[in-house]
Amino acid sequence: MKRNALVFVVLFVAILAMLASGRYLDRVRKHGPIKLVGNVQGVPAPDFTLPALDGSKVSLSDFRGKAVLLNFWATWCPPCKIEMPWFEDLQKQYAKDGLVVLGVALDDSAPATIAKFASELGVNYQVLLGTDQVSDDYGDVQYLPTTFYIARDGTIVDKMTGLLDRKDIEEAVKKTLGVTPKVGSVLQNQAKAEVKAVAVKAVSAGDATR
Amino acid sequence: MRCLTALPLAALLLAGLALAQAFGDKPPVIMAPIGKVQVRAGASKTINLDFRIGSEFHINSHTPKSPLLIPTVLKLTTPEQVTVADVKYPAGQDMSFPFSPDEKLSVYSGDFSINAVLKTPANITAGTYPVNGELRFQACDHSACYPPRSIPVQFQLTVVK
Repeated sequence: MKRNALVFVVLFVAILAMLASGRYLDRVRKHGPIKLVGNVQGVPAPDFTLPALDGSKVSLSDFRGKAVLLNFWATWCPPCKIEMPWFEDLQKQYAKDGLVVLGVALDDSAPATIAKFASELGVNYQVLLGTDQVSDDYGDVQYLPTTFYIARDGTIVDKMTGLLDRKDIEEAVKKTLGVTPKVGSVLQNQAKAEVKAVAVKAVSAGDATR
Repeated sequence: MRCLTALPLAALLLAGLALAQAFGDKPPVIMAPIGKVQVRAGASKTINLDFRIGSEFHINSHTPKSPLLIPTVLKLTTPEQVTVADVKYPAGQDMSFPFSPDEKLSVYSGDFSINAVLKTPANITAGTYPVNGELRFQACDHSACYPPRSIPVQFQLTVVK
């Protein structure tokens, strides 16, 4: 009787594992592995190259040595609209210290509509046209606004979701500007990335059953 | 021996976690089941489709106040002989939210109903016809918004002579 129960449990788990790995592999085939899940602090920010509203191509790696505020938003997201003027002010205030603000529009609207929206809000920072790939790379960004604070060495200092107080955003900017590359940080980051990769596989396998 | 005992327990725990994740991604809007829908051949029938929005969410009404906001839209696909004569949406509630206290948005929250009017010709064959479709909406909570998504809408229309 006990043996039958054990066989049943093992079979059940094997089926779940097969379903999970099937979904995971399907996702990997379509988009590559999800790179950021869970606590992302200290993890290298995934690089990307996206079209900007002015037609140029912009890569995150272009800004190595700068602190980057990477904000995911959409024209249909009213809370996103509240933060954008704050980002403009912060860009003006902290540009001399090395802050770069990048907006990534996760939006099906035409680029002209996105440009008009940004212009009406007086956006003075670069707005890029997001893709599913970059959303996936940043942990399947679903909840907007979502903002990543990226240090000068390309590692993530913080991730914030939902509308926050301007004070909290400014604190995160200051923290990001204060984080400077340290000797050996590259090696530390590589080690963290390897640990993360193992965790990602485990979480993605679970996530794939959804 | 202890390992052999612990193995099934660990397996059960993992399976439970996997199942919990599998059912963790509930949509913010669900549709109430529709009972039997019957119509006489040649007549029209108004069908009430009832939806419930999760307590922490709201969705844009069918007529949001800005063209940039994504309206709630019901799309139905019917067999050739059945036509969708009309879809009646409820008026939105004008509400302001912590993220924009000075701006009123036209939204649905809690429970709401959409009425779909289906029409059949007099010469339609008696029987059961599938009606499929989807409700597309875009939800937000008090501080953030989710991408637009759709939930399926399905029911059977029984035509009698």
